[in-house]
Amino acid sequence: MILDRLAREIEALLFAAESPLSIDRLCGLTGSGEDSIHQALDRVDRAFKEQHHAIGVIEVAGGFRIATLRELGDVVSRLFEGRRPGKLSRAALETLAVVAYSQPCTRMTVESIRGVNCDSAVGTLLERELIRISGRMETPGRPLLYSTTDKFLEYFGLSSLDHLPRHEEIAELLSAGPSELEERDLFGNKGKTGP
Amino acid sequence: MTRSMENLSCRIELESFEGPLDLLLYLIKRDEIDIYEIPMAHVADQYCRYIRMAEELDLDIAGEYLVMAATLTRMKSRALLPRHGSAEEEADPGARLRRQLILYRTFREIAEEFRKNEEIWSEVYMSWGERERWSEDAGESIRKDRGCLMDLLKALNDLSREADEPPSQVIRRTTMTTGECISVLANRIPEDSKVDFWEVVGPEPVPEKVVSYFVTVLELVKRGWIKVQQRYPFSDIILERTERWSVDSR
Repeated sequence: MILDRLAREIEALLFAAESPLSIDRLCGLTGSGEDSIHQALDRVDRAFKEQHHAIGVIEVAGGFRIATLRELGDVVSRLFEGRRPGKLSRAALETLAVVAYSQPCTRMTVESIRGVNCDSAVGTLLERELIRISGRMETPGRPLLYSTTDKFLEYFGLSSLDHLPRHEEIAELLSAGPSELEERDLFGNKGKTGP
Repeated sequence: MTRSMENLSCRIELESFEGPLDLLLYLIKRDEIDIYEIPMAHVADQYCRYIRMAEELDLDIAGEYLVMAATLTRMKSRALLPRHGSAEEEADPGARLRRQLILYRTFREIAEEFRKNEEIWSEVYMSWGERERWSEDAGESIRKDRGCLMDLLKALNDLSREADEPPSQVIRRTTMTTGECISVLANRIPEDSKVDFWEVVGPEPVPEKVVSYFVTVLELVKRGWIKVQQRYPFSDIILERTERWSVDSR
């Protein structure tokens, strides 16, 4: 398969870019329309596959990137041996899960859901740039608010926050906030048991 | 024997729990309890048994575990006592706990899903990005850390959103090296008499110049090429050549 000019332009852009390139961005850079970009992306990926290349085009964090195939993870990981940060602990993963679905949120929110102190987990996640400080809540003490980063999406191979697993179900679950529930308790109503 | 075996398993388990809710969910699952119909007395007993065993083993129990123990005991006693007065007085004490448990259980499941994704995606390497960071040497990673701190400080700064922005200023790098300054000063510090620092700086004491020359003066003092005198703080600085200048630079 011989790639046309547009496909090769896109291949070059993805190769050189330091972060995922969105469709919009690719349109702007190449001067082509959305549809032709989609098709060209497809052609690039197909060319890789047909020639059994070790890399492919993936959609992640709101854009496209060139990435190595999973089956070659073993050998590539040797290249980064000792430099690569370890896997996240369960505490960190749970904390990250809460932040991802209720962002922007305070550390208190995370702690009220997990039932334990989350200081060190939040610290780890900040350090690894999976979450960031995104503001302050305008309540007494003005606690810091945390949100996830693009690196979080890349780390878990998500193309956007809308693609979080069980997105709607959890949004619904969270919408009956704890404060609301406590109020109900005060007025003697039964707590919400389901949607 | 049985007792110590039991204690041992308790120890292993308690350390693997991510907090009181995690322990509680474990007990509920182990005893096949419906989360919507939690038998308070039973669960409270089981939970407190764990905590007591942990205490016997001198494990450090986080405060959160004890708070939960107290809450459960309170709920148990309420469940056991006959109810007086109107029902409105008492909300369903289990409702809040139930909601907490369901919420936590959901996020625990999500965390598990994240872990699987992490597994998959840690085997995929993208061009640039994160990879670039790991491939740098240790020195670079320190620089990167400082970058992180700066990002945080910047974010904090943005947050405090002071009414008036501080005036921006372009800081230009001085084009003069210390070596160049030394050759200029060589002409301005006479061989046989003292001279005031400001005289050396010249007619236009712009900050870059003052700083450059001052740093140069310090360098010359370090080399022992000049002597410096100042009568009292902030008074004139008098410079004087020593013999070493001509000896060393010969």
